Amino acid sequence: MDSAPHQTAAGEIPVLRLAGISKYFPGVIANEAVDLDVRPGEILALLGENGAGKSTLMNVVTGIYRPDAGEIIVDGYGVSFATPHDAIRSGIGMVHQHFKLVPAFTVAENIHLGWDETPRRITRDILETRTKALSEQFGIPVRPSATVADLSAGEQQKVEILRVLSRKARLLILDEPTAVLTPDEARDLFRALRAFREKGNAVIIISHKLDEVMDISDRVSVLRGGRNAGTFETRDCSPPMLAATMVGREIVRRDLRARRPDAKPVSENPVISLVNAGVRDSRGVMSLRDVTLALHGGEILGVAGVAGSGQKELTGLLTGLCTPAQGEVLIDGQKAPAGAAAFAEAGIGHIPQDRLHSALAPSLGIADNMALREYRQAPVGGDGMYRSDEAADLAKEIVEVADVKIPDLATPIRNLSGGNQQRLVARREIRIAQKALVAAYPGRGLDIGAVATMHRYFSELRDAGAGVVVISEDLEELLNLSDRIAVLCAGRLMAVLPAQSADIDTIGMLMGGRTAPDDATDHAADHQAGEG
Amino acid sequence: MAHWQRFPTAPAHLVFLWRMAAVLTTAVITAIALAISGRNPFELAELVGRSAIGSRFGLEDLALFMTPLILTGSAVTITRRIGLWNIGAEGQFYLGAAGAAAVGLYVPGPSLLVVPLMAIAAMLCGMAWILIPTLARAYAAVSEIITTLLLNFVAALLVYWLVTGPWRDRVTGALVSTQHIHAAIPEMWGVVHYGFPAALLVACGVSVLLGRTSWGYEVRISGANPGAAEYAGMPMRRRIISVMLLSGALAALAGMFEVAGTVHRLQGGMANNFGYLGIVVAVLARGSCLAVIPAALLMAFILDAGIVMQTQQLAATTVLAITGLVLMLIAAGDELAHYRPVRTTPPAGTIERNVSA
Ligand SMILES: Nc1ncnc2c1ncn2[C@@H]1O[C@H](COP(=O)(O)OP(=O)(O)OP(=O)(O)O)[C@@H](O)[C@H]1O
Ligand SMILES: [Mg+2]
Repeated sequence: MDSAPHQTAAGEIPVLRLAGISKYFPGVIANEAVDLDVRPGEILALLGENGAGKSTLMNVVTGIYRPDAGEIIVDGYGVSFATPHDAIRSGIGMVHQHFKLVPAFTVAENIHLGWDETPRRITRDILETRTKALSEQFGIPVRPSATVADLSAGEQQKVEILRVLSRKARLLILDEPTAVLTPDEARDLFRALRAFREKGNAVIIISHKLDEVMDISDRVSVLRGGRNAGTFETRDCSPPMLAATMVGREIVRRDLRARRPDAKPVSENPVISLVNAGVRDSRGVMSLRDVTLALHGGEILGVAGVAGSGQKELTGLLTGLCTPAQGEVLIDGQKAPAGAAAFAEAGIGHIPQDRLHSALAPSLGIADNMALREYRQAPVGGDGMYRSDEAADLAKEIVEVADVKIPDLATPIRNLSGGNQQRLVARREIRIAQKALVAAYPGRGLDIGAVATMHRYFSELRDAGAGVVVISEDLEELLNLSDRIAVLCAGRLMAVLPAQSADIDTIGMLMGGRTAPDDATDHAADHQAGEG
Repeated sequence: MAHWQRFPTAPAHLVFLWRMAAVLTTAVITAIALAISGRNPFELAELVGRSAIGSRFGLEDLALFMTPLILTGSAVTITRRIGLWNIGAEGQFYLGAAGAAAVGLYVPGPSLLVVPLMAIAAMLCGMAWILIPTLARAYAAVSEIITTLLLNFVAALLVYWLVTGPWRDRVTGALVSTQHIHAAIPEMWGVVHYGFPAALLVACGVSVLLGRTSWGYEVRISGANPGAAEYAGMPMRRRIISVMLLSGALAALAGMFEVAGTVHRLQGGMANNFGYLGIVVAVLARGSCLAVIPAALLMAFILDAGIVMQTQQLAATTVLAITGLVLMLIAAGDELAHYRPVRTTPPAGTIERNVSA
């Protein structure tokens, strides 16, 4: 009986049972006749492609949506939740894909917001002491007095989880919790989840990362096209088998570094180069310094590094969002014009880390959002006008190549699934990326099929002669995709290595701030693309 | 089987129907309240109908009320588009009126020359009045709601001082007023002056500016998500400044129209809450510049009805109560317009949606 928490007696009542749940949106079947069981003391992974209906199903379970058909049974009793409040009273709590905290409030205030047990008299001290006690009780470390806006994604998530647990949740639902976490933070999270499970509670976790699912879950349910395509014991599964169940076909891994015969060669001169460039953050500290780096057309340059090592600043320099406090940025050998708009006009696309907050206007329609990069040019604009019919045509084109199904172009873009938003942003940026594309964590929130598609886009762009920068924490992804890998540590460029000869250990050491045994650092300013 | 479901978008015809229902409900509730307080609502309704829309005099009044409301409503609406609130239309109205009066009082010449000068002076004064809140917002992120609001009181007192001090009427001795200003916007239909069609044109112009120009697109994106505007390299600061200055100019123009078209004097208290009612109009118009026109019409009708009711010894605050009721019910109607009945059977042909993706 050591570590087999899913060994529940056959007759045990599931914490949650869904029977024939259906949920329709105009023109979209989000869920159709879904059956699902969650037993006490187990972690159930919920898998599925982008838009398969995972978030919607969980929103039905937590009372945000009402099902159009079917039953929700909690502890053997049929229930119907009118609000998330009702769900949490029944012990079902959820941490959403996009956090729902009040950024201007402190951690303690967020924990106590909208809670029956919040004392009548609230002072800073009372709230913070209570939060501290809760934090210790559930073993989730938070800083009660910190303002949420100042917290990292991982810390915000801890607040969300504590918020749910303190309301006595017995079933914790997590929607893509690791998408925004560093590997260390993800490990902490899993430790907390296992501890939660040991106490006889249940967890539903949505994830696109199959290794993670294999690691943490006891059982796996797969949604496909809104239907339950099967539930399996995790020990009977393998990542390829899960992937095939999700997509309904085998996923073929291509050699991404293989160029097409008609591919353009790596350009002689760099398209973007940084010369001794550095960035100062808002507190006046140099958060990136002395970076000399050249991106050539026709190559993919991976950027590795622990989160917060200067990736944001590097992206800023490459896309014109930051002005260099030191050194300079050159486009095609010329001093780069100032401003993100000028960079975009010069043919540099940018897939940012946080699409919903920086690449899209969530409340506006798809057409308006797709015009963001081209409203200054004909046919949408160019003469000071904005032609919405042309913007709609442009959006239709992008939606088509992105292979996203949408009800209509006026739909606010926040109603699309997270993965579909990412696809649209990617296609919009690839359209303008004549010279270069800078992609920060492009695979976040994408299902494995879509990640493969995104990688294909990058290699096509490379073959077409553009330079591609991919920033990722997934070294495997970088090694498979890139021609060269740049390693950042604490705001400095440690080295640029040819991917073919690089290995994970060397990169790991450089990420930790140790220089490689050989003279890899001397290649830092090497302008030669690593091509064999 | 069918049931009601909330859709993310509300089609225009449903919004219209629900709003009509809201206005009707307001009328019914008002009638019931009047009946309970011992009045005959039908008599009152007939009286209001006859004097507000059933007579030439009433229609003229309606147009005169609408003119400043369209302008202040547009002023507030454009700041809403970039996610800001200009609560200071009242103050900018006063400054516009004062600027126009200064030109009217001290620049001799035919109306044809002086009136355009009055308009320019008014708009410059309105922009000057909103300049400090604008710069504080753009460069120091100071809430424009507070600053624009507080300046209203300063503006009202400034005008009081002008009309009781340096510019007081020394000709006829009218109290709290300048002397009669001769330069005037010509009248076109009874007392209705050309300011009325001008205000309609301004509303249409602003609508084109916001909906059909890249400037307007940038304003919209900046309002919906400043992060996205920054990402796309939009000059957000400059957009905030231009939107707020334009807003100040529009509210000031309303003041100039009052001086040169309706009152022909600068008077203390002449803004008459038109600035604040502009906020109500903007809320009713839901950020659409063209919808400002019917919203202003409704507001003007309520004001007119209020005057009629006052002649029947009803309290002046009745208007406030009715305005509040209309606002609330219309907000409810707008929400209801998102709901449509749907069949619970799945829409055909969409099941294979993303299997092949
Ligand atoms: N409020 C809504 N209105 C209309 N359509 C919606 C709404 N919410 C979701 N959808 C649609 O329902 C489908 C399922 O979306 P859902 O967000 O559940 O997908 P998901 O499995 O969570 O995908 P992802 O992995 O990309 O997050 C999508 O096609 C989406 O566009
Ligand atoms: Mg989702």
